[in-house]
This record gives sequence, structure tokens and C-alpha cells, in this order.
Amino acid sequence: MMKIENLKAQIETDEGEKEILKGISLDIPAGEVHAIMGPNGSGKSTLSYVLAGREEYEVTGGAAELDGVDLLDLEPEERAAAGLFLAFQYPVEIAGVNMSTFLKTSINAIRKQRGEEELDALAILKLIKSKCKELGISEDMMKRAVNVGFSGGEKKRNEVLQMAMLEPKFAVLDETDSGLDIDALRVVADGVNAMRSPDRSFLVITHYQRLLDYIKPDVVHILAHGKIIKTGGPELAKELEDKGYTEFIKEAA
Amino acid sequence: MAQAKTVQTMKSQDENVQSLPVRSPYDCSTAETYTPCKLPKSMPEWWMDNREAAFSRFKAQGLPTPKMERFKYTNLARAVKDWDGVLGDGKASVQNDQGYVRSLADCMDVDWVRAALQNDAPGAEKYKDSALWDLNSAYLRDGFVIDIPAGIRVEMPITILHQGMDDNYTSSRLIIRVQENAELALEENQNGEGEYWKNFVTDIELKQGAKMVHLRLQDETLESVESQYTRVRAGKDASYYAFSLNMGGALTRYQAHAELTGPGAHVSFDGLHLLEGSQHSDTTILVEHQAPHCTSNQFYRNLIADKAHGVFQGKVHVYEDAQKTDGYQLSNTLLLSEQAHMDTKPELEIYADDVQCSHGATTGQIDEEPLFYLRSRGLSEMQARRLLVEAFIAEVMDKAQDGDLKTIMESKVGAWLSNVLK
Repeated sequence: MMKIENLKAQIETDEGEKEILKGISLDIPAGEVHAIMGPNGSGKSTLSYVLAGREEYEVTGGAAELDGVDLLDLEPEERAAAGLFLAFQYPVEIAGVNMSTFLKTSINAIRKQRGEEELDALAILKLIKSKCKELGISEDMMKRAVNVGFSGGEKKRNEVLQMAMLEPKFAVLDETDSGLDIDALRVVADGVNAMRSPDRSFLVITHYQRLLDYIKPDVVHILAHGKIIKTGGPELAKELEDKGYTEFIKEAA
Repeated sequence: MAQAKTVQTMKSQDENVQSLPVRSPYDCSTAETYTPCKLPKSMPEWWMDNREAAFSRFKAQGLPTPKMERFKYTNLARAVKDWDGVLGDGKASVQNDQGYVRSLADCMDVDWVRAALQNDAPGAEKYKDSALWDLNSAYLRDGFVIDIPAGIRVEMPITILHQGMDDNYTSSRLIIRVQENAELALEENQNGEGEYWKNFVTDIELKQGAKMVHLRLQDETLESVESQYTRVRAGKDASYYAFSLNMGGALTRYQAHAELTGPGAHVSFDGLHLLEGSQHSDTTILVEHQAPHCTSNQFYRNLIADKAHGVFQGKVHVYEDAQKTDGYQLSNTLLLSEQAHMDTKPELEIYADDVQCSHGATTGQIDEEPLFYLRSRGLSEMQARRLLVEAFIAEVMDKAQDGDLKTIMESKVGAWLSNVLK
């Protein structure tokens, strides 16, 4: 499904170019959930942005393939059409664009790129209705501007809603747990779990072990200083939680 | 509901009008003595003296250049210097007049009209920028008078179509009175053919409790110059709502001066500039809060492409007695190219101590963050830009009263976006 090989990326800073990803390799087969844990500044969010195609990050080496399609050559919208979805850590507020217009434009943009017939307004409305119901999202939210004035929980639920509507092959969840209380976390996790399937895989990025109690990973990777320093089963998350990042990274070095 | 009808009421288009001397306004501005164009027969003698006086005031100031404080960013003199057009008339027509519109030439001697014509430009003493008003008086040949009697509500808009004609300079005036508790909806559609200069004056008086909604589509040709001086006097509990879509002209200047003279009065000036190529468009608004408990809003959104240049100068002046004033101005600009340019000058001058006034201005490019967010959801870069720009525009378009002209405006905006966001 998703193959990342020796991926290197840098960003332009005031002090010149700074390498953030220093050679990351991941192999995530179809149907699996992988988690990446790491301290602040380890490169977690950079990895998600690089996969989604944000221009500020320059890829200096390596490859990322989704079902044999080289993502790194594609525009962000082409990656979305190829089946990649990024749930943002900080979903962006877009004043003046209401949710239903946004969802309609997004779904049809992707369908068009995939060579599928565009859906009419009624069909999309039905789809929105049923997905909202599944995720416990009030339809009032659809009349509001995208993420404007949404609570932390609403923003993250909105990300899951978009994921549910776009039905990606591979989804990256970037710190989806940040800013959520336990109840909101459970709703979001339920939404993700409902989408788990043998032909879809996930990369869950988080700072805390807590999220992984709700979304159970098959494999856990520890990221530090732009490199994967250890890979293991779910027990690795527990070990990390007990020891703390500083101790853990010291031992792994 | 009154029957909609179309009337042509510009007297100067009648065949009994004598031919005009071929003089351009720039020539006139440098001439030693006033050479009036010939008058339609119905114009009274007193108006001749008025015109001569206006001409000498105009001569003393000259055509506006950036040396005048209120024309800091706009060089009108340069734009019309090589002008070889003639003094003449544009075409103007009124639709759905509902019996309230008359030709100016027909009512010059009506007392209140005569008084309005004899007024100097508002703030002429203080701001010394009455040149365009005076020029309008000096070469004024006709215009319209709209008078809504007390208690009458004209909710179905009266529409005035101003058409510029190639090689023509036009001075026309619109004098409007909305009497006690009456209501007027007015739509102005300004366009034309070829190269011309229109210099309008609009003089509006709102009596106690009167209301006026005023929509204006400025869609002049890309070779033309349009200058417009609008005065609004709003009495107790009167309200005025202006919305302008400014998208035409090589150089345009919209200047408004509002005086809130009675408690509870309200004015708002909202609008949108859509500029491309080498267009230059200047909106300069001054609101004088002379009475307490009045409110005013100014909200402009500006989209500037190519090498175009936009200007927004907004000023709120609160007099000492105008306690509990609420004055607000905001200008937001999106620059769509590296060479696009916007000058913004918000100003507050406050002499009362219990007021709420704010002003703000932003100028920037389309944000990368929402652009990336939308693209990550499958929208092409062009689609994402268009959606963001449409959202930017929608917030100000919401201020325009629904109706035929708004529908025209929306399709003009759509066509403009399709052309510019390629």
C-alpha cells in the first residue's frame, strides 16, 4: 500500500536550509494502522506535510509510493485523487466558504480527477446527511463557514467527516488527539475505527500514548531527530509512556 | 405597484439645443476667461452668474493633482491633460421613474432645487478640494431631480442609466430629496462607449426618518475617466445605504461627503473594487458626525490584479456634540499580482469623548494555508483560488440590496473572475 524509502526533506529558515527528515523508511501494508510517536520537533508534522505536498518543504531525496504511484511528483490535489488524505493537526479556517459548498466542491473535484461522474447537489446532500449522522455531527455545522468558530472537537470531527466522504486508500492523522477531551476523542476514534478495512491503511501521528488506547495500532514507530529510531508492536507505546522520551531516546541511541 | 416605464428626460438631447463650442475641459482649465457652452433655452439667467462664479473657483484650484491633500494618490490632471474630447452630453435615461423623476432643466427655479444648485461643495472651505464640484457647476447642462414626498415609499428601484459617448466630456447632476419618513431605492448603471470623461455631482438630502438605498455599478470603458462627487445630508433618524461596484475606467474617483445632522442618523458606504490592467480607482469618503447617537459604516473589499492601482481613503470626523457616535471603517485588499498596488488611508478625527470608533485596513495576497488545505481536499490550485476569492467578495456583496442591478453585478463579478483568475 504505502511505501516510504529513505525520505529526506528540508525547509528554508532564516539561518539557511534546515534538514528535518533525515531518511525515513516506512512500509505500511493494506489494512494496517501504523502509529508514529515522537517528541516535539522530531519531524512528525513535517512528514505529514511532505506526504501531502506542501510547497514550503523541499524533498531532497528518497521516495513515497502509494499503490505504486510516486506521490512526490504529484500536486497536492493529485495526491488526494490518488487516495491520500491528511487530517490536519490545525484545520484551517476559511471565512466565507460554507461547509456544504466546500464538501460538494471537494467531492466532485476528486471524482472528476478519478474519471468518475460528478454527483448532483441532491446526491451530495444525502451523502453529507448520512455521514453526519454516523459521526454525530449536527447538520447546522454544514451551514457554517469551514472551521470558522468551530470548537477544537468540532474541527477534528470535521476532518474525520471529510475523510469519511472522500474514502481515501491511505490516511495520515496528524495529532488528531491534540486539543480534545476524552469524550471528543472517543467520537473521533470511533469514526476512524469505523473506516478501518482490509484495503485501507492509516498512519496515526501522535505525541501521547492516549490516542492509541482508542485507535489500536498494528505497528508503532518512534521518530526522533528526523529518523525512525525504533519499530515495534503496540507495547512500544506503553514502554515509551513509562520511560518518557528523553530516557527512551537515550537508550535507543 | 407603479407601472414600470422608461423615459428619456435629458433636455439637452432635445433638438432645440444649440451646438456646443469645441473646447475640452483641460483647455478650459487653462483658459483666461470662462467660455460657457450654450445653454438649453429653459435655463434661467441666475444660473449664468452661478456658473461664472463656479468657474473662477475651479480656476483658482485647477484640475486635481497629488499636490492636493485629498488627491494624494490620484493624478486626475495627468489623466485628462491630452484630452481632445468636446464638451457635450452623455446619454442618460431613467427606467421605472414612478412619476418622481424630472429633468433638472425643467425645475431649475423650484425653490429647493435652486437652493441646492447654489450650494458650494461640502467642506469647500476646510478641505479645499471642491474643484470637481465647481467644474461640474461651470459646465453643467442637465441632470435629474428626484423628489419623494413625505411618507411615500419607493421600494421598487428607480434606475438611471448613464452612458458615456466617445470623445465627450459630460457634467451632469443628480439632485435628490427624500422627505419625512419617505423611502427611495435608486440604482445607477454607469457605462459607455469609447473614450470619455464623466464628471458627476450627486446631491442627496434625507429629511427626518427618510431612508435611501443606493446601488451603483461603475462599469465605464477601460479608456474613460469618471469623477464623481456625492454629498449626503442625513437628518434625524434618516438612513442612507450606499453600495458601489467599481470595475471600469482607466481612472476613476468616487468621492463622498456625508453629514449626519440629526440624532439617530445612519450612513453606510460599502463597496468592491475589481481592478486589472493599468486601471486606477480611488474611493475617498468623509463622514461628519455632527449630531449625537449617529452611526456610520464604511466597508470596502478590493481585488487588484496586474499593474492596477486602488485607493481607499476613509475618514470619520466626530464633532464635539456628537456623543454616542458609532463609526466603523474597514478596507481589505487582495493583491493578485506582484505589481498590483493599493494605497489605504483610514483616518479618525474625534472631538467628543463618549464614542465608539474603529478603523482597520489589511492588504495581502491569498493565504497559502487555506490554499493548501483546499488543494489537499482535491481542488485544483485555480479552483481553490477562485473559491477563496469568491468568499472574499461574498462578504461585501451581501451588503448590496437584492434586485436587478445586484443580479447584473453578480454576473459581472463572475465574468471578471473567470477572466482574471486564469
